[in-house]
Amino acid sequence: MSFHHLCFYSAFSLSTLGLAFHRAHLVSALLCLESMMLSMYISLSIWPVENHTTPLTIIPMLMLTFSACEAGTGLATLVASTRTHGSDHLHNLNLLQC
Amino acid sequence: MTYFILFMGLCFLLGSLSVASNPSPHYGVLGLVVGSVMGCGWLVSLGASFLALVLFMVYLGGMLVVFVYSVALAADPFPEAWDSWGVFSYGLGMVGVLIFGVVLGEVWKCLGVDVMTVDSIGTASVRFDFGGVAMFYSCGVGLFLMSGWGLLLTLFVVLELVRGLSRGAIRAV
Repeated sequence: MSFHHLCFYSAFSLSTLGLAFHRAHLVSALLCLESMMLSMYISLSIWPVENHTTPLTIIPMLMLTFSACEAGTGLATLVASTRTHGSDHLHNLNLLQC
Repeated sequence: MTYFILFMGLCFLLGSLSVASNPSPHYGVLGLVVGSVMGCGWLVSLGASFLALVLFMVYLGGMLVVFVYSVALAADPFPEAWDSWGVFSYGLGMVGVLIFGVVLGEVWKCLGVDVMTVDSIGTASVRFDFGGVAMFYSCGVGLFLMSGWGLLLTLFVVLELVRGLSRGAIRAV
């Protein structure tokens, strides 16, 4: 494995761990999701550079488009929860807790 | 020059670590900004300059700006900083998991530092990623239209999610 691959692979793994262990705020989970998308963009960009296949440079731009859609939807969910609960603290989202 | 590129890759990794172990979302967004700047520099050094510019403008200038003011909306007015032991132990634990994986998979035995750039096999009349992205308009026009339609759909999704007048609850934000 080259050092580049190790860098973005471990960046993706760290962001996944951060998403799994996000502590107090909903927005820190969204930030970890964005970091996962960023590392995926970098890896999808480096792959055609290494293999010298030109048409595959479309793929990171397509991924960025849908990542923008997902970020917008996540932030809309954040705004809706802040409007309803007053903050985005995760221990306030306990409506289904018995 | 090779080591500068690898240093930028390492700073990208550190930015991702600071997003994962953030004490407060303000510092998480800072780590994301640093990570995207380093990732952009990484891509420029490898020769994929158009993709780096797209990353800068769309991701850093579009999405992260929206994230910054959403974090200003939603996060604490008095955030916790990096100097607390809980945050430090979180970061250390995540790096420990990473090192555990690297050692267990014996990746450190076969780490190479060779860098492959776009000019490794010679230059062309049309630059590498400009020519590739131009296929968005010729062969990949279906993908182009689908992604445009998806973006338009997202606008309406966001509108419906934050609508508060007749459905949902509205509060003074």
